[in-house]
Amino acid sequence: MRLIEALNLLREPRPDGAGAFPVYLGCGFTPLDLKTFLQAHLQLRLKDRAVAITTGLYGDLAGELERLEAARYSAIAVVVEWSDLDPRLGLRTAGGWRIGCLDDMARSVEAQIERLGRVTSMLSSHTPVALLLPTLPLPPVCYTPRAQTGMLEARLRAAVDQFALSAAALPGCRVISREAVDSLSPLGGRSDARTDLAAGFPYTSSHADVIGSLLASVITPAPPRKGLITDLDDTLWLGIVGETGVEGLRWTLEGHAQLHGLYQQLLQSLADAGVLLGVASKNDPQLAVQALRQPELFCGAESFSAIEASWQPKSAAVGRILQKWNVAPDAVVFVDDSPLEVAEVEAAFPAMECRLFPKHDPAAAVRLMVELRDLFGRSSITEEDRLRSASIQQTGIPSGTGADFLARLDAVVSFSFAAAPNDSRPFDLINKTNQFNLNGRRLQEADWRRWCEDPEALILVARYRDRFGPLGRIAVLLGRRVDRQVEIAHWVMSCRAFSRHIEYACLRQVFEHTDTGQLRLAYTATPRNGPLREFLATVLGAVPDGECVLSKARFLDACPKLFHKVETAS
Amino acid sequence: MDDVQPRLLSCFRGVFPTLDEGELLQLSQPAHAGWDSLASVTLVRLIEDEFHVQFDLFDLEDLDSFAAIADRLRAMAAGS
Repeated sequence: MRLIEALNLLREPRPDGAGAFPVYLGCGFTPLDLKTFLQAHLQLRLKDRAVAITTGLYGDLAGELERLEAARYSAIAVVVEWSDLDPRLGLRTAGGWRIGCLDDMARSVEAQIERLGRVTSMLSSHTPVALLLPTLPLPPVCYTPRAQTGMLEARLRAAVDQFALSAAALPGCRVISREAVDSLSPLGGRSDARTDLAAGFPYTSSHADVIGSLLASVITPAPPRKGLITDLDDTLWLGIVGETGVEGLRWTLEGHAQLHGLYQQLLQSLADAGVLLGVASKNDPQLAVQALRQPELFCGAESFSAIEASWQPKSAAVGRILQKWNVAPDAVVFVDDSPLEVAEVEAAFPAMECRLFPKHDPAAAVRLMVELRDLFGRSSITEEDRLRSASIQQTGIPSGTGADFLARLDAVVSFSFAAAPNDSRPFDLINKTNQFNLNGRRLQEADWRRWCEDPEALILVARYRDRFGPLGRIAVLLGRRVDRQVEIAHWVMSCRAFSRHIEYACLRQVFEHTDTGQLRLAYTATPRNGPLREFLATVLGAVPDGECVLSKARFLDACPKLFHKVETAS
Repeated sequence: MDDVQPRLLSCFRGVFPTLDEGELLQLSQPAHAGWDSLASVTLVRLIEDEFHVQFDLFDLEDLDSFAAIADRLRAMAAGS
């Protein structure tokens, strides 16, 4: 993004009723373009919010952060440069590069990092913090030649790495990846000595753009994709199983097919993190399954929750997998080595990310794997992520399933009425669920924290298990008691939990727990929340056209017999 | 008629979004409180990016109005 584009973007009017998204930018230098770029990149990601950036005083990063009232902000961006750790490491202070000063400089950096570590820990317990550690080249302080790492540099980098390590372990802190900065902003193009000396702003515009973009991406991370559908022949392995047989397939370095082994390794890692894996292959179904069952594969049959092998168009196979997973095309990535197949699936599902597997180009294949890792990237892995693939196998409970079947499920719904601000599962559920979603409204991390910390809030989190296994936490409801009724602002339930009457159990629990006679539901129709609309139509007796009120009597009339054993925890 | 004025106007609009075209054409630093030193630096960065020129950031005193900057740009383009 160019600076003029960022400024023009910020001139655009915000939609009526756009909620505020206040961000504190902590940096020891004049924020200038960095403030502009950060605001612009955040605004691009938060179209329904009015992003406002507050900055502190020049030259005292740690002190400003220590005085900060974190709760006033939706997010805090902390940008640390060498001069914040010791002014002698910046261009605006002179007289401190004598050999005898170097040890003192290292000690002062270590002390300042300790101070920043303490304040980062404190701030991130209240508000999400995005932390950037020094990106500018060190000035020529050391006596060693440029090619040799001097003791001072080694100590400084070790101290910064230690800071990164401890900050990355904080649940509320996200450290900007040094590799991401390096890949987007060459070291030689970062420092602008001219504006640093004239105005106290040390970054080139292009570096400020990269930093603003990276900070914005960790403050408002894109929801990770949910599933990956892959081709088999010449993609998951090298070779055409229908031609060479199972024994002719290769995916190892010795077999000159290492790219396929690396791809398998990545897919298995994604599966471990809860990503759904599917196969769409033009193949004989029995042969495909036989090939996938080879124990030497790094990602074999048991890791795929949907295997579609047939001679039909790939788009038909992809469609069946989407139906089985009950996810939208834009939550899925398709990978195939054939440009024709990629184009065919892309035409059928324009919202789906479709990628060519570049089997003859190792560098491009590695780039694809980096991109896939990014598309599925998440800050943490929850219990539900690990359960997802297994539970997909048992989601085939059709809607309208009979009471006899439900009665034999031995289902247990456990309700809790609190959530921890750093617990990512309920937050992710609200932000990823489309179908059973009261209104499609998403939360920023700071909004979620406010709900968790609000003593007046009603928070209901439902966990489910039955004789087929656990589904983990699958529903979240957020509301408030207002006068004699309860206003429900958010309500979502994972599509994996459909057809088990858990939605009825949730509302019954809310009525019982709050002892209210009436619920006001902030329902809004979205392009995707048909299942929620149908449920409301059933309990209300009519399709709602907006916010609606459900009385306890009406609900109990409409509620079928529930067979769940209910457990509650406060 | 050269294209300096419209291109320079787009730079000024970026920094002073609330002013209309007529006000921008007449704009001078002493007469507008919002044109402070930081606005000057941003304006110069925009102009440098747009016109592929470089100013001396320690010598911006003469560049204190739309007209003065336009004149300087024309002079730079003419090689003087």
